Amino acid sequence: MSAIELPDSMRVQWPWRARSARVNGWRVSYVDEGTGDPVVLLHGNPTWGFLYRDFIKPLMAAGHRVVVPDMIGFGLSEKPTREQAHSLDGHIANLTALMRQLDLKKITLVCHDWGGPTGFGFAITDPHRIKALVIMSTWAWPLPPAEFHTRVMPWRMMHAPLVGPYLLGRHNALAARGVYLSVVDRNKFKVRGRTAYDAILPDQAARLLTWTWPRWIPLDDTARAFDRFAWLERELPKIDRPAMIIWGREDDVFDYETFSARFKKMLPQAEGPHLVTGRHFLQEDSGPEIAKLIVDFLVRNTTRG
Amino acid sequence: MADVNKIDAPALAGKRRAFVLAEDRVGHYPEFRAFFSMTFDLDRQGLAEPGYVSSPSGLIYVLVFIGRSGEPFPAGIEIYALPDALEPLDDAAVDRDLWAILRWMIAGVGGEWTVEKLEQTGSLLRIPAALDDSARKD
Repeated sequence: MSAIELPDSMRVQWPWRARSARVNGWRVSYVDEGTGDPVVLLHGNPTWGFLYRDFIKPLMAAGHRVVVPDMIGFGLSEKPTREQAHSLDGHIANLTALMRQLDLKKITLVCHDWGGPTGFGFAITDPHRIKALVIMSTWAWPLPPAEFHTRVMPWRMMHAPLVGPYLLGRHNALAARGVYLSVVDRNKFKVRGRTAYDAILPDQAARLLTWTWPRWIPLDDTARAFDRFAWLERELPKIDRPAMIIWGREDDVFDYETFSARFKKMLPQAEGPHLVTGRHFLQEDSGPEIAKLIVDFLVRNTTRG
Repeated sequence: MADVNKIDAPALAGKRRAFVLAEDRVGHYPEFRAFFSMTFDLDRQGLAEPGYVSSPSGLIYVLVFIGRSGEPFPAGIEIYALPDALEPLDDAAVDRDLWAILRWMIAGVGGEWTVEKLEQTGSLLRIPAALDDSARKD
């Protein structure tokens, strides 16, 4: 168990028991509540399960088991202290290990940010476990990158050699400031969320993945993850399952016109895009609304199925 | 602002190496590796000697270059302060020094990497040393 203590104001919003398992050599922390076909909620950088705090109760009330893993390196999961401990393939294997260990089937996989490439990688590896996909502010192809990710100021500077460990390590700038800049209602976020992302990464070494993940985003065809993303792009359309695309209207990392349209082309059966108020961390601005979209989507597809 | 400069190896008696920052992947953008390689003559020096730089606070910092099999050298860098052996670090001073070292590095890397963009990024992220710089200019 982790010794990290959430402030009371955050604990009230996150009353769930943290369970843990050994996966792929690491200790993963996850929430597992409710009964029914599972909905697995995947976060990205630099968040953790808390991002989905508005989703768990409505999904449980609608008759679903809700599983929310903290990615290795984030939240209450183990946080390796060497950059070489992290790779996209390794994180896909981490998730695959947990899903197999829990023997989850008929999964609705909800993917956001790096929860996209890792979740899609798992779905392609074990397609027989997947019932449906929900896709939010993420990507699944090598090129072109989001325009935001090509800019030196602020994105590439933020994780440049030595600058990344200083800004995002010593100062926790992505969790403490970056998320804040990537929501619409910043005042609400200051009260409801900010501390939970800051406090969960209390030490410099614990923040390593916040500057390591950005270095895995392909910017050209020499990128080390290029082939894996090309595989995602090639294989994801073969996941012939119900899908839904949800995007933030104000998303300035993965703009909805470009990114949701590309997912729609890859997965023509997908509903949406359903546009909600939100920048990249749309769950912070529109959590209950998105949860209802997912509940209704699953009702429709259960009825059909 | 006092500059950061490469200096010769100082006397180390009575000092300790105090770890302050590590970079596991200095070649993520290869121009950064090239900067350190050129500045500290690493193609010739290899692992033989660390690099030393002065800082605004007067502390000297050691740059230890890390090699990793199968990768160009250096693969990583560790930065240590050199305080008196038993004296604790002044964390705020170290933070300002590290910011100055980053400014020095970015200026040396050059091209699309500019000190102005570093300052803008630091200010956007509310980094104290960057805000101090910004306030001094106003």
